[in-house]
Amino acid sequence: MFSLLQIEWLKIKKYPAFWAMLIIVLLTYPAANLMFYNVYLRITTQKGTDMLAKMLLGNPFAFPETWHTVAYISSFFIILPSILVIMLVTNEYQYKTQRQNIIDGWTRRQFMTSKLMDVLIVSSITTILYTLVAIGFSIYASTFDASKIWDQSYYIGLFFLQTFAQLSIAFLLGYLIKKAFIALGIFLFYYLIVENIATGYLKIKAAKIGGDIGRYLPFEISDRMIVAPAFMGRFGKDLKEAYEKSLSEVPTQIILSLLLTTAIWAFCFYMHRKKDL
Amino acid sequence: MHPILTITGVSKNYGKLTALDGVSFEVPAGAVFGILGPNGSGKTTLLSIILDVLHADTGKFSWFGNTPQTNNRKQIGSLLETPNFYHYLSAVDNLKITQAISGRGDSSDIDKVLEIVKLSERKKSKFSSYSLGMKQRLAIGAALLGNPDVLVFDEPTNGLDPVGIAEIRDLIKSLAASGKTIIMASHLLDEVEKVCTHVAILKKGTLLTAGPVDEVLAQEDIVEIAASNNDALLNTIELMGGFSKVKKHPNCLQLFYPVGTAQLESINKYCFEKGITLQQLQLKKKSLETKFFELTND
Repeated sequence: MFSLLQIEWLKIKKYPAFWAMLIIVLLTYPAANLMFYNVYLRITTQKGTDMLAKMLLGNPFAFPETWHTVAYISSFFIILPSILVIMLVTNEYQYKTQRQNIIDGWTRRQFMTSKLMDVLIVSSITTILYTLVAIGFSIYASTFDASKIWDQSYYIGLFFLQTFAQLSIAFLLGYLIKKAFIALGIFLFYYLIVENIATGYLKIKAAKIGGDIGRYLPFEISDRMIVAPAFMGRFGKDLKEAYEKSLSEVPTQIILSLLLTTAIWAFCFYMHRKKDL
Repeated sequence: MHPILTITGVSKNYGKLTALDGVSFEVPAGAVFGILGPNGSGKTTLLSIILDVLHADTGKFSWFGNTPQTNNRKQIGSLLETPNFYHYLSAVDNLKITQAISGRGDSSDIDKVLEIVKLSERKKSKFSSYSLGMKQRLAIGAALLGNPDVLVFDEPTNGLDPVGIAEIRDLIKSLAASGKTIIMASHLLDEVEKVCTHVAILKKGTLLTAGPVDEVLAQEDIVEIAASNNDALLNTIELMGGFSKVKKHPNCLQLFYPVGTAQLESINKYCFEKGITLQQLQLKKKSLETKFFELTND
């Protein structure tokens, strides 16, 4: 297993897109969170509303809420590591190295395990960056309180699972479509447009069709593991009730995400064992 | 001694197209085994199956007398169809990956094989900057890593210039002389004839013949004769008999005899007695090209 990891590192470490992605993520996560932090500052410093808002919202960028807030905001940018994952798998087809790796002695199972490791590596790096941004931001935006640092740190696990689940979908697309640009096009179109419209539509129709089935859409399944923080006010009048309902659905969403991700990888391993390369 | 490779009844279909139809043969240890056939005859499909890139529909194969196992492939240096490397990596970095996957050789071997395939000067250049011939050389270098006892080459001289072709031919000869088993698919008959000890000929997925080159080719002796008047020579020689057939070419006649029955001295004597002086009298082996066209022409 360790040798597979070493070999994947040989492939990745001199791949320019890998370092480009890392730099972009490194810039994007703090920038996006800074933007939301400024919104929060504006709300809480407006005359007349500042004290009330502060009382209601608390500081979402202070420990322990920062784990939740930064996870939610950063998860919007899953698109960046997704592009890298799609490139990593389609490269193997473009260069025909998926054949060469087998010819040189890997089993088909070893090849797929190495790709699983790629996705795990990218997910881990993304999660580490998120963790650093959450800690850094909290230190920057609030009075540091060491006693509360780890209170909601389970969001690190949730963020990792969400990233891994969504990157697995990106991998599946790249694996099936094989051509980088087509796979990227379909991924972006579905992720940015189709699923957002479908989610919104299904939310409106929820009452009619007996429940919000939008939560079962591929990306939405894992998106709803990290619900929108209360301060973002996406829950309308019944803020407290809706927020708590979303939180209560999190365990189900976690199980569904695990099931979907396992199914994706089981399918990829099966396909790779059966098909001609 | 076990054969290096045994192929038994291997078939492969792509929809209605039969790419391979019950192909069976053995590759003995130390052989330079040429797999010949026109484009689309199934050479690359066959090599892809024995390297586990394609699944056979029926039939089986075994390396080193074993059933297919991963570790078998690690002992075989292979170049299949095209040079497949990571475009953004240098020759050295690509060979590090080959080495790590196959476990063949150590880091000093990388420099050694790059020297053999004459890529040392460009070893740090990205693969994407290589010419077609350089890419092919790198693929041959990758196959040579760790000095494996068995090599599989699919069209090894593709993309090489005439000097490169001669170099690779010499390399294959020297590898064969050192006792390695080489399985080589090619449609360059001259190449195969110059280096191969054994040959298999495929046509539309069917194996036409397989065996040692001498056995495959030497089914007939061919005697070439010529005189100042070949028409008169033809009339005379037809009266002589003893051969199975005669063919008239613009500059000579070819007499076909069962193996070992042609006697040049008696042909010469017969013609001289009939008043014809021969300008040419030569026993020729059938060329692989002749045999190939004979077998593969409809």
